[in-house]
Amino acid sequence: MEYKRTELADNIGFSSIIDEKFKTSSISIRFITPLGAQTAAANALGMGTLSSSNSEYTTLAALSEKLSSLYGAGLSSFARKRGDVQILGLGASWIANRYAIDGEDIEGEMLGIVRDCLFRPNAKGGEFDAESFAITKKDLLDRIDAELNNKRGFALARAAETAFTGEPAENSCYGTKETASAVGAAEAFRAYERLLRTAQVEIFFVSPQENPKAAELLRESFSEIDRSPEAVAFRNKSPLRDDIATAQDEFDVRQCKMVLTFKSDSDDTFAMKMLSTIFGETPVSKLFMNVREKMSLCYYCACRTVASKGALMVDIGAERSNLEKAKAEILHQLDEIKNGSISDEELESAITSIENALCQVGDTPSSYAGWYFERFCDGAIRTPQEQLLDYKSVTKARIVQAANSIKLDSIYLMLNKEVQE
Amino acid sequence: MENNLTSYVTGDGCIHVKHKSGLDIYIAEMPGFSSVEALFGTKYGSINTMFRQRGDAEYTVVPEGIAHYLEHKLFENEDCDVFELYAKTGANGNAFTSFDKTCYLFNCSKNYQDSLRILLDFVQKPYFTKETVEKEQGIIAQEIKMTNDNPEWRVFFNMLRAMYHEHPVKIDIAGTVESIAQINAELLYKCYYTFYNLNNMVLSVAGNVKAEEVLAICDECLKPCEDKGLETVFPEEPDTIVTSEIRETQPVGASIFNIGYKCCDCRGTERLTKSVAASIASSLITDASSDMYQKLLKDGVINSSFGAEVFCGDGYFTVIFSGESEQPDIVRDSILAEVGRMINSGINENDFQRIKKSTYGMLIRELNNVEAVANNMINSHMDGVLPFDAIDTLSEMTSEDVVDFMKREFRSDRLVLSAVEKEA
Repeated sequence: MEYKRTELADNIGFSSIIDEKFKTSSISIRFITPLGAQTAAANALGMGTLSSSNSEYTTLAALSEKLSSLYGAGLSSFARKRGDVQILGLGASWIANRYAIDGEDIEGEMLGIVRDCLFRPNAKGGEFDAESFAITKKDLLDRIDAELNNKRGFALARAAETAFTGEPAENSCYGTKETASAVGAAEAFRAYERLLRTAQVEIFFVSPQENPKAAELLRESFSEIDRSPEAVAFRNKSPLRDDIATAQDEFDVRQCKMVLTFKSDSDDTFAMKMLSTIFGETPVSKLFMNVREKMSLCYYCACRTVASKGALMVDIGAERSNLEKAKAEILHQLDEIKNGSISDEELESAITSIENALCQVGDTPSSYAGWYFERFCDGAIRTPQEQLLDYKSVTKARIVQAANSIKLDSIYLMLNKEVQE
Repeated sequence: MENNLTSYVTGDGCIHVKHKSGLDIYIAEMPGFSSVEALFGTKYGSINTMFRQRGDAEYTVVPEGIAHYLEHKLFENEDCDVFELYAKTGANGNAFTSFDKTCYLFNCSKNYQDSLRILLDFVQKPYFTKETVEKEQGIIAQEIKMTNDNPEWRVFFNMLRAMYHEHPVKIDIAGTVESIAQINAELLYKCYYTFYNLNNMVLSVAGNVKAEEVLAICDECLKPCEDKGLETVFPEEPDTIVTSEIRETQPVGASIFNIGYKCCDCRGTERLTKSVAASIASSLITDASSDMYQKLLKDGVINSSFGAEVFCGDGYFTVIFSGESEQPDIVRDSILAEVGRMINSGINENDFQRIKKSTYGMLIRELNNVEAVANNMINSHMDGVLPFDAIDTLSEMTSEDVVDFMKREFRSDRLVLSAVEKEA
């Protein structure tokens, strides 16, 4: 594998990752901007409309027909949240030219389509094409509605909203139904133009072979934009509140959910990740072994870090009558760690689990892009092997210290309606 | 006996070994990849509720959800939990039960030989007691409740219940809270010794491995099994559907639908050919550039979630159209009209070639991924075909084959609409 990052212009990074084992190529262009209640929906709609048509293929039908003729090449827009930051992007992937049955230049065509979507969008008079925009807007509104369809995901989103109230991270990366409904084709286009001018941009090209045209096309196109990039802060620790906040919803569900959000003022992110792994990220973690296996209270009880906010979240699905018991056990297991109860086996298994995950980076094109994007956000480009050494240097004392730095901040409950307390 | 299997279209290959123990083994060495994916599976899923072995006078009927229950319990050895063993090697262990198979798997980037020994050992070493079996009831009951809160799961199973009168594909993979209460250690042993016979099992390993190392570990760990003449049976299933429409209200934000054609089932190569034809037919119907798709989209009836899949196994074969919509009746009527149009007027050859290319691209992408390669090898074997047969079958498919399939199988009297709608 060959990794190389160059700057196409001020705050526009282009990472080329060449790995000959792949049969596909992909490109992902990510715009990084502060997450805001008033801008999230317009940004998501602006970026979303780019993948529904462009100036060459002016309808979704025409663009879809072209993509399927290029052996089912993929093209999509995305919006994500990372702490207080909104990440908007356009991604494309296609099979390598050597697999083209009729000898087509799939890569050349796809790079042209991506360039056109970004720099020659289907817009006139300062607004997106009405039909393309309407399709995108309906999709976004439906996506916002559909968040409730995934109960676990919905509970985690509501927990974040509760834990980070008053901070940008309380917002969804799609905005709300109200803010999205209010955005028109002109506002969405203005939002996209603003992203082109002000967002930090990171581009990832993952391919079995080098293609200098990819960087050149984008360098040339970005050079026509009058840019004034705005700085974003990738890590903003969320302040711990004085009293534990609680939020709850009632639905006609069979299983209740509970999310406990803890916050920490520690900067030791490697110790925090080790803590999270030992606490609840694996099938030998304290939460899995005790809350699930010993007490049979749940099917899942897991922990995750939200490093960008200095937070740690534990979520569980259980009977309403067992939620208090589960909460007591979760806090008890955390107290165990705070008191130094970490065996050598637990420490070793956390390291081997992390090592296993790190060594698999690079087995899919998206894992390469994900890895190097995260390192960009961390502020230092490092290899998985280099980062493994950081984890290996974490001592039991540092994990105990990290555990003692976290405090319960807020609780989210999704309760069923049948059982009334 | 060792066979080298190669795709004449892409040149990719793997090896197949019929091991002396009775086990079928597939290995794909994938140079340049770091990870290893290994699956050890048995042809035993939620649909296998009635069976007997050579010499049994009667069929044994077991409670719904027992294959899945057995999967959970196999992770406990007499002296430790299997996850504790994997924790030492760093492998990420897991398992799943589907309609027609149960697979135990791991993925790792180091120590694959030790992890493979763990996998082969624990799956061949059951240990169930009254206490350990009872302990699992609460955990699985929560899993059942969680999946029943999943609207995609509900809309799919409701569709199967509306489609199949008798076939056990209509029952939930994990069973019900009531059915799993009937499961005990004795029943689990009965099922284990019936289905976890190496003659009924497959090992699939892909990624950063060496075939000779894998085979040496198999020689060391596999215990020879006598083929006991396993026979599974399914109740007679009429060609008709139970009901053409089934609706349920749930706390969802977006209403969803499954619209499925009940097709005639078949096996082996015939099923593969039929699946490829069905996949192309459904891709043509859900093609975003088609007039039908564009009309439904512009009218606000569907969104980009509209798609299709082929779902088939022993005794069942359906083609399912799914998505989000407040007006699934219009989607159903549009599909019926589009199918009628294609059957009467034929398929545009350019559209057919384009969708064929798109399907080919999807199969190439699967060869790019260690997990997908391992899964393809085990699924193909269990379906009675070879790993690269799909890509080869696709290359030979014609538009006439697809129209023939539609004429035979897309029958309006065998169409079911299932909807999960949001509360008023």
